[in-house]
Amino acid sequence: MITASRITKTYGTTRAVDDLSFEVRPGVVTGFLGPNGSGKSTTMRMVMGLDRPDSGAVTIGGKRFGDLRWPLHEVGALLEAKALHPGRSAANHLLALAQTNSIPKSRVGEVLELVGLEGVARRKVGKFSLGMSQRLGIASALLGDPGVLLFDEPVNGLDPEGILWVRNLLKSLASEGRTIFVSSHLMSEMAVTATDLVVIGRGQLIADTTVSDFISSNTEVTVLVRSPGAVQLADALRAAGAAVQETDDGSLLVTGWDAARIGDVAHAAGVAVHELSPQQASLEEVFMDLTSDMVDYHGQTPVEVGS
Amino acid sequence: MTTATVTAVAPLPAIDHGHAGLGNQVVSEWTKFRSVRSTWICLAVVVVAGIGLSALVSNIEAGRWTHLGLVDRAEFDPVRFSQTGEFISQFVVGVLGALIVTSEYATGSIRTTLSTTSKRTTVLSAKLIVIGAVIFIVSEVTAFISFFVSQAVLVAHGGKALPAGSTILDQLHSATIPVVGIGSNGAVRAVFLCGVYLTLLTLLACALGFVLRHTAGAISAFVGILLVLPLVVSILPSSFSGSFERYLPSNLGLAMILVTSRKTDFAGVLLTPWVAAAVLAAYAAAAVVLAGVLLVRRDA
Repeated sequence: MITASRITKTYGTTRAVDDLSFEVRPGVVTGFLGPNGSGKSTTMRMVMGLDRPDSGAVTIGGKRFGDLRWPLHEVGALLEAKALHPGRSAANHLLALAQTNSIPKSRVGEVLELVGLEGVARRKVGKFSLGMSQRLGIASALLGDPGVLLFDEPVNGLDPEGILWVRNLLKSLASEGRTIFVSSHLMSEMAVTATDLVVIGRGQLIADTTVSDFISSNTEVTVLVRSPGAVQLADALRAAGAAVQETDDGSLLVTGWDAARIGDVAHAAGVAVHELSPQQASLEEVFMDLTSDMVDYHGQTPVEVGS
Repeated sequence: MTTATVTAVAPLPAIDHGHAGLGNQVVSEWTKFRSVRSTWICLAVVVVAGIGLSALVSNIEAGRWTHLGLVDRAEFDPVRFSQTGEFISQFVVGVLGALIVTSEYATGSIRTTLSTTSKRTTVLSAKLIVIGAVIFIVSEVTAFISFFVSQAVLVAHGGKALPAGSTILDQLHSATIPVVGIGSNGAVRAVFLCGVYLTLLTLLACALGFVLRHTAGAISAFVGILLVLPLVVSILPSSFSGSFERYLPSNLGLAMILVTSRKTDFAGVLLTPWVAAAVLAAYAAAAVVLAGVLLVRRDA
C-alpha cells in the first residue's frame, strides 16, 4: 500500500506536484498516467524518500521511507534504467545492492535469471542496451522480494516481446499480493496492464479510479449503425430523440443510446440493419481528451504548403 | 532473454530484527569500490609514482652531492626526497576520493544507493571508511617502501648514515652523501605522516564530492586548494600572508614530513608535524560535517 496525502513539491517557481493525494492498493497493477512533465517522476522520488515534499506525506505500508528498517525488503524501485556505473558488471551492481540489506548473494543469480540476464551477468553494464538496462533495473527492484514495487516507464526501450514480458511480470507480481505502481506515458499499455489508475496533469490529481470506470465515466456510449436505409433510420432515430451523426462512409454514429434501443427503433421503422456495434473509446483517447489543456509541451503538426 | 513467460520470484526470508546499518553499507561500498577499473589504475599510480618518483629524485640528488654548495647541502633531506612521489599521489588520491561520490551523481545511481538505507549519513560514513582505510594502507605501505628504496639508492651512490647525534653542521662538512636510517630522529614519524597526509586529503576530496556533486567541480576545487591557493597567497603582501601561509593544506603536508633535526630550516614558517596533522584533520572533519548536513537536507 502506498498512500500520498496532500503532497506538494515546488522547484524554484515551478510547482511540480500540487496538493496530490492518492492510494495505491495491493493485489493489482496501478497505472500512473500523466503527460511529460506532469510530476510522475517527482512523485515517485518522494515515495522513495529521495525528494522531500514541501508539505504533506507519502507512506509505504503506513511508514515513511525514513522509518523503514530494511528498505529493500519493503520497497523496490526502478526509477532510471541508465543510472548505473558503466564500468561495473551486472552481477557486481546487484551484489553491492544486496549487501546493503543483508540479502544473500545467491539472490543475485536468481533475479538475473528471472529477468533473463544470466548470460551477461559478468558483462559491464555500460555495454547494455536500454532494454537490458531496464531488465537489470527490474532485477534490482525485485532483489529484496519487496511487497511494494515502483516502476518508472519500465517498458521504455523494450522490444514487443520484452513489453509483453513486463506486462505479464507486473500482473503476476500483483497477483502475489504486491502493490505495483507503474508510470507510463503509453496509455494503450496501461489499458491492458493496469487495473487501477492514478492520472495526473500539471502535478494535480485528475483521476484515482479503475481503468474501466475511467473510460466509461469519461466517454458517452456511441453505437455505430450500418443500414441500407441510413437516411430513413436517421430520421426515425432523431424523431425518437437520439443524437445521430452521419459519417463519411454513410454509416451512423448514435450517442447516448444502447444498441437494443436503436434496434427497436429500426424495427419499428421497418429499416434493415447490417451492423450495430457499440464503440469503446480507448484509454488513450480519453486521456488525450482529459489532459489536452494540461500538456506543457505541445508538438506541432507540419502545415502542408502549396496545392 | 527471449522468454515472455514469467517465472515467479522466489520468496526471500523476511528479516525481523535490526536494520540496514553502517556495516551493510561498508561491505557494499567495498564491492562497488573494487569492481571498477579506475580504482585499480589510481592505486597502481599511487604505488608506482610514489616509489618510482622518489627513487628517481633520490638518484638525481645523490649524483649532485659533490657539486653542491653549503646551502644546498644543508637542504639535502634524504627523508623528504624519499617521499617526493607524494606530490603526484596527492592528486591521484583526491581524484579517487571525489570519484567514488561524483561518479554516482553523474550516472544518477546515487539515488539507487540512497534508497537502500533510511539514514543517508550511513552512505557518507561508509564511503569515508572504505576509501580512508584503503588509501591509508596503500599510502603507508608505499611511503615506507619509498623510504627504504630511496635510502638504498643513496647508499648505492656511496652514501653513509651520519653518526648518531649529528647536527646539520655535520652534514655540511660530510664527505659522503648523508643517508637516514628508519630509526633516526623523526624518520618514522615523517614517513608515517606522509600516509596520513594522503589519507586526510582523500577524505577531504570525498567530502567535496558530496558537497559539489559534480566530478569536474570537486576535482577543480581540490586541485585549487592544493595548487592555486598557495599562488594566490604568495601574491598577497608577505606581512599579511605570512600569518596564514602555514595553514595552507600544501604547507601542512610539507610540515608533516619534516624531521625534527631539520626544523630549523623552516623555523617559524611551518607548524610542527603533529600540529600540522591535527589542523589538516580539522579541515577534513569540517568538510565531512558540511557534506553530511547537505546530504541530509538536499533532495537527491
